[in-house]
Formats: sequence, structure tokens, C-alpha cells
Amino acid sequence: MHDIYFSFAEKIVLGLGIILCLASFIYEVMRRLLIVFKGLGKLPFDRTGARLWRMFREVFLHEKVVKGRFWPGLMHAFVFWGFVIFGLVTLEHFAKGFGVTLLSLKTHKVYTMIVTPFSILVIIGILALAYRRFVTKPKALGKLSPTSGLVAFFIVVLMVTYLIGEREIPVFLWKINWWIHSVIILGFLFLIPRSKHLHLVLAPINIFFRPFDQPDHSTVNIDLEASEEELDDMLAGLTKMTKNQALDIFSCVECGRCVDVCPANRGGGILDPKHHFILDLRQPLLDTKDVDVLSQINVEAGWECTTCQACTEVCPVGNHVEKSDEIRRLEVLVEGKVPQEYQKLFTNLQETGNTEGATTSPLADRLPKFSSDKEYVLWLGCFARYELDPEFTKSVENFTKILDVANISYGILEQEHCSGDPVNRLGDKLTYSMLRKHNMEQLSEAKKVVTLCPHCALNLEKEYRKYDTVSYTVEHHTQVIEKLIIDGRIQVNQTAAGKITYHDPCNLSRMLDEVDAPRTAINAASDNFIELPESGKNTLCCGAGGGLWWKKETTGRTHLVRAEQVVESEADTVVTGCNFCYGMMNQGLKPLTPEGRNEIQVKDLADLVAENISQ
Amino acid sequence: MKIAVLVKQVPGSESPLPLVSSQDWLDESQVAYIMNESDNYGLEEALQIREKNNDGEVVVVSLGPDRTQKVIREALAKGADRAIHIQTNENYPTDPLAAASLFADALKGEDFDIIFSGLQSDDLGYGQTGVILGELLGMSTATLAMATEILDNKIKVKRELEAGYFQWVTMSLPASISVQSGCNTPRYPSLKGIMGAKKKELNVVTPSVGDQNQSIKKIYAPNTAKETVMIKGSVDQVVEKLVTIFRNEIKIT
Repeated sequence: MHDIYFSFAEKIVLGLGIILCLASFIYEVMRRLLIVFKGLGKLPFDRTGARLWRMFREVFLHEKVVKGRFWPGLMHAFVFWGFVIFGLVTLEHFAKGFGVTLLSLKTHKVYTMIVTPFSILVIIGILALAYRRFVTKPKALGKLSPTSGLVAFFIVVLMVTYLIGEREIPVFLWKINWWIHSVIILGFLFLIPRSKHLHLVLAPINIFFRPFDQPDHSTVNIDLEASEEELDDMLAGLTKMTKNQALDIFSCVECGRCVDVCPANRGGGILDPKHHFILDLRQPLLDTKDVDVLSQINVEAGWECTTCQACTEVCPVGNHVEKSDEIRRLEVLVEGKVPQEYQKLFTNLQETGNTEGATTSPLADRLPKFSSDKEYVLWLGCFARYELDPEFTKSVENFTKILDVANISYGILEQEHCSGDPVNRLGDKLTYSMLRKHNMEQLSEAKKVVTLCPHCALNLEKEYRKYDTVSYTVEHHTQVIEKLIIDGRIQVNQTAAGKITYHDPCNLSRMLDEVDAPRTAINAASDNFIELPESGKNTLCCGAGGGLWWKKETTGRTHLVRAEQVVESEADTVVTGCNFCYGMMNQGLKPLTPEGRNEIQVKDLADLVAENISQ
Repeated sequence: MKIAVLVKQVPGSESPLPLVSSQDWLDESQVAYIMNESDNYGLEEALQIREKNNDGEVVVVSLGPDRTQKVIREALAKGADRAIHIQTNENYPTDPLAAASLFADALKGEDFDIIFSGLQSDDLGYGQTGVILGELLGMSTATLAMATEILDNKIKVKRELEAGYFQWVTMSLPASISVQSGCNTPRYPSLKGIMGAKKKELNVVTPSVGDQNQSIKKIYAPNTAKETVMIKGSVDQVVEKLVTIFRNEIKIT
């Protein structure tokens, strides 16, 4: 059907249709982008190569879409790849309406042979997705969306009309078919920017600009000598979004993967990251045409967050979902509304520099002190230093045993204060800055720091760097242990008994990007290692992050969900690399273990390695 | 509504408590001080009344050496309008009558409608200063307040009695009321509050401390001992004995 003639009237109607729908499309997109440009900060263009590579993987290869939910993800990939292929088809389609031939008959035929199977895949994909949305109805998708139904219908009609258009049929039927195809494409232009389908346009851009670090919250610099106006300006800035955050809001595709992985939500809490951190803010942005909307985040939900970054990690459109930092800092610094148990925690940190308000530490008294001739500062952290779980003391001593065997010199800082992780996460940026300044002075002679606490490691390594020039490097003890094994400085034997699994701490896996080191060490000590269902960067939080260790009354079961998975894994031992996870597992596993089964051993990686080391 | 809140700086519950060699007081240089717990609730009660009436003044009053100004600043940061520091040297009175007399001298010209104090101080724990002060200034007094409600020139106070009972009393103003911990939800100082506290009025008065009717001779830590009692008998007998112990000795109600 290569020689169809379109009348002048038809060309006018077509031209007007395209202009109107394109104008409406551009207007709606620009309306949103103008709000994005009002955001604080700049959109980042650093490390362009890495950003493009990430775009290729996550957009073109659909890495996260497929990884998070295999079958629906694959169906979506069919639709996406179909759309890409259809780009040229669509151009050719409209060109024909103006009497322009883009492709020669031969090229067209070849191209049709490629496009036809894809159009079938698109139909399969979109029907499967529609079945899922309207028949299986998974909870994470939320309320039934009529727009999604309409879009699915449009896509099917597009494909069908395409397939019909490639067949030899009477001209008047062909033309009707052609017009249906055209109207639907123009309808898309109208529909896309007004719905979650805007992700077609914004997700690739958003993935390009996504921060490399997570969490990535803006810094809060508090100058106690500042004038009242300067203070007011600073506080006013706390309710404003950055450009990246505003772009996130419009990119959201409402898939609910963030809800699926949220430990607070799974534990029965009210926190729904999709709504509380993203969609609740969309209408206020549009209504106010400005970015001054962070105070709209649900406060109660914000306090429930474990700041584990699972939501951010899983987001297929590149959103930094988690925004508990933003609402907590407003509650603490602006409103002065702080749950009582956290007020006690903050006061302890201000008065004594540690979370417990303690004045002595028997463990710190026993350990060697740092001097500049020693290789490592052994950073203890409050958990180990003040025995938040007395059994963890043994893990610290096992790590020092490993260092001793490897002949590595180390010492603790006598005046070590809390790294500030709890106050940083709970929004008390004033106390955080006090602790940070104190510790920076204490670390002035340090070259290398090693710690068993990933929360401390994250703050000393990444968070402090956002405020200060840092001259030391920080390693997590699992990283040091891995290096010692690889370099042959310690000999670990595969003598550990029983089935062993590993719980990835959020701060280590997602935030410090370390999932291999602990596994190398476990495999050196055991020949019977099994993975938990959610592992690596897709780990499930133990429930203690974001300062929640100090939350005294928890009505939800956030702290039990992960422990249940460990019990179900049938492992004899669970190894972890974080003192908080260790404490949570120690508390959580015992009551959950079924009668008749042996108690599951909780070990830090240092315990496992020290128990199987050759002296 | 003009409200005074008495706050005291006391050793924190986790603070080390070393004694001076004469054993009649603590070595204060090693003590970590905080605001007395129930005073924090008294302050919150006053701030809430001021906010509810959208009018009034909350004045925080503290007695003690220079270090006391830390809790005064904290109270100002939380929202008190101004402060009076009754400054003493290191030998501040530990006798509640002497302390209350100093408060009375400092407050008598001010005509407060309400004076809130904590139920008792966490260090000496007499629980008398607020009541004596009320008597000295000719005010109504109530202790152990769990809730308050302002009526026309009167205040209604919910008092905690024993064994889970409460009592509502309505008194004429002015009144001096001591507040029980847990009666409200104390706030945290906002950043603006902390910054603004520096500029608020802090009036320092330095009266001479008169004679005390009582003084501390010796301080010592109580001896602790563990006592394990084995309960023997059949299950029913053991349960019965346990219930008796829970009810009469541990007093679980």
C-alpha cells in the first residue's frame, strides 16, 4: 500500500492535529520542568561517561525494571523495545500523510520484517501487564488506574492498526485504519505529560542525573554566630526541594516497587514511600508552581523510616525516594517536635558525646591507644564501646585478634565521640555538627581508619566529606579482613560447621557499596554458604537503621521481618557485618526459632574468621 | 496570664557521683548536670497554657551557682520569655525552706498568676519547695499535678493519688502547683529557639543566703545486696505464693 493519496483537506487536519497535540505536550512538559528549575542546587553533569553507561543499562537494557520483578519487568521491556523500534515507523507514518516517502520500498519491507515480531511482543507485553494490573491487582500498584487501562487499549490498537496497515486491503479501509493509528498517537501526546506515563520522557533524564551516592541529602550548615536573617534564610531553605528531587516527583511511574521493599511498610507501619516521599508532593508542586513543599511530607511516616535506602535502590526511574531526612530536620530544627526517647538520645550526645550518656567503657580501657606510629585507628563506635549488646564485645576482640595475627598495629582514640550517625539521620544537624567537629580534631593524625560499624564508616568516610576536607581513608573491617586473606597475611580454613548465611547491612551494601568482601571471607571459612532471598544491594533492613535502634516503643514488626527470613533460610549461623544488625538478630531470632530447632548462631564476620584462622 | 516556672539543675542519671573528701557533698567538677526531669514537664505545661491563651508570659526561675545558667538557657530556648537567676556561690541552700524563701524574695514583686515547679528534684527529692513558696506568697497550692485547666480566675488541677486514683481540685489563682513527670509531652528546643535564647532577658539577683534549718552531714552510697528466695511446693502453692508476693511486696496492681 505504498501509493496512497491524501487530500489537501486531510493534510490540513493532520497538520493542525499534530501542532495542537505537540503544543499541548510541550506546554505540559515545560510547566513541570519550569518548576524543576526552581529547585535548589544544580543538575549534575560530572562523570558523564558513568552517567551515560548507567542510562544505557537502566533505560535501554531495563536492568532494574527486570531485576526487581522479572516477569512484569520483561513484559515492560517488550513494550519499551517495541516503542524504540516504532520511532521510525511513526515518523514514516506521518510523513506519508503529507505525501513524503521516507523509506524506499525495499528498506520498508526489511524494516517491516523487524518491526512485525516486535509489535507482537508489544501486544503480549501490554496485555500481560494489563492482566496484572486489572486482574491480579498487586497491592503495590495501588488504586486501579483508568488511565493505565486506556493506555493499554491505545497501545494494542496502535499495534493492531500497524499490522493491518501492512496488509493489502481496500483503500478506504486502509485510510480509516491509518487515521485511527494517527489519532491514537496524537492522543498519546495529550495523555503522556498529564499522567505517570510522563516517565517515558523523564525517566531517562532522571536516571542520567541520579546522584551516585545514597543517601544523598543536602548538607545543613549551622552557624551559631549567624545573624537572625541568615538563620531565617537557612531555615527557609530546609523546606525547598533540589532540582533533582523535583525531577524525581514528576518522573515517578507509580509502580510501587519502593513500597514492596520498605521494611517499615512490611512491618505493618504506615510508611508508604511511594505516596509519602513522592506522590504526596506532586500536586503541591503543581499547585504552588514552586519547590517549597518538603513540609508536606507525612511526619509520622517520616519517623518510621529506617533510612535503609531500599526504596531508592529499587526505583526503576532513578528516583532518590527516601526523604525522612528532609522531614525530620524540619521537625527537629524548625518545629522542635522530637519523640521523647530521641530527646534523651540527643541530650546524651550533647552532654557526653555518646548515645548512652555513659562515662566509662571497660572495653576501651583494655584496648591499645592510637599513636601516630600505628597503622590504623580502630574506631569503636558507641555500640561496641558502651556495649549496646554485651556479646558484641567478643566480636571486637575477635577482630583485634585477626589484626594481631596479621601483625597490624592499631589503636583506639581515647576521645572518640559518636560519629553522629543517629543525629544525622534523625535530623538533629546541630548536634551532628558538634560531634563531627570534635571527631575531625581527634582524627587529625589518622591516616587509616578501620571500624566494625558501617554507620560510623559511612559518616567518617562519606558524610564528613560533604562538610570538610578529610585526610584519612576509612575501611570497614570486612574489607580489611578480605584484603588480609587475599594477601595471604592470614590463613583462614574452611572449617566452619553447618549452613551459613549472610545478612547484608544496608549501610555496608547499599551505601558503602561493599557486598563482595564479606562473601570472600565467609567462603574462605565455610564450604556451606547460602544466600538469603534478599541479598547484596537488595538486602532487607534489620530494622535498626535511621536511629530506630533507640526507638523504645515499636508497634510494628519492622524489626522481625528480616529475622523471620533468616529463620526460614534454615541456616545454622547468620553472619553479619554491622553491630546494629548483630544486636537486632541476637534479640529477634531466639523468640522466632521454632521449637525443636537449634538456636541460630549470630556472628559478626570477625567471629567467623577468628574461629577458623590458623595461628 | 503570668507564669513562673522553677527549674533546677541536677546530676544526670548516668552521671558519675564522686564525693568530696569531707563526704558531705559531691565533687561537682565531675558531675554531668541536666534539667530536673519533672521541671521540664512544668515548663511544658506553662508554655502550653501561654500558647493556648495566645497571651501571657513564662518566666523561668532557677537557684544555684553559675553553672545553673545552662538549664536556664535551655528553658529559654524551649520558649520561656525571660529568666531570673538567683545566683549563689557553691554553698547553695539544700534546705527547702531556705530555698523557697530565696525564691519568694525574688518573685514577690512580680505578681505571678501561677508558679509551676517539678514534683521533686531528682537529687534531694524533698518535694517541698513549690508548696512552701506558695505558702510564703499566700497562694493556693497543689502537688502531683497530672493535668491543669484554666477557668475564670481559677485553676482546675488533676492530682495523682495512690493506687491509680486521681483527684480534681479547683483552686483560686494565684496558685503554686508542682507537676508530675509524664503529664504532657515536653518539646525540644528548635534551632531558632536556641539562637533566640541568647538575646532573651536574664536577670541575675544575688541575695545573701540566710541560715538553714537543716544541712547535710554525710553522703554515702546505699549498700546493695541480692536476695534470692526459693519458693517450694506444688504448682498451685507456688502460684499462690507468687501472687501474694506480686500483690503485697512488689505491689503490682
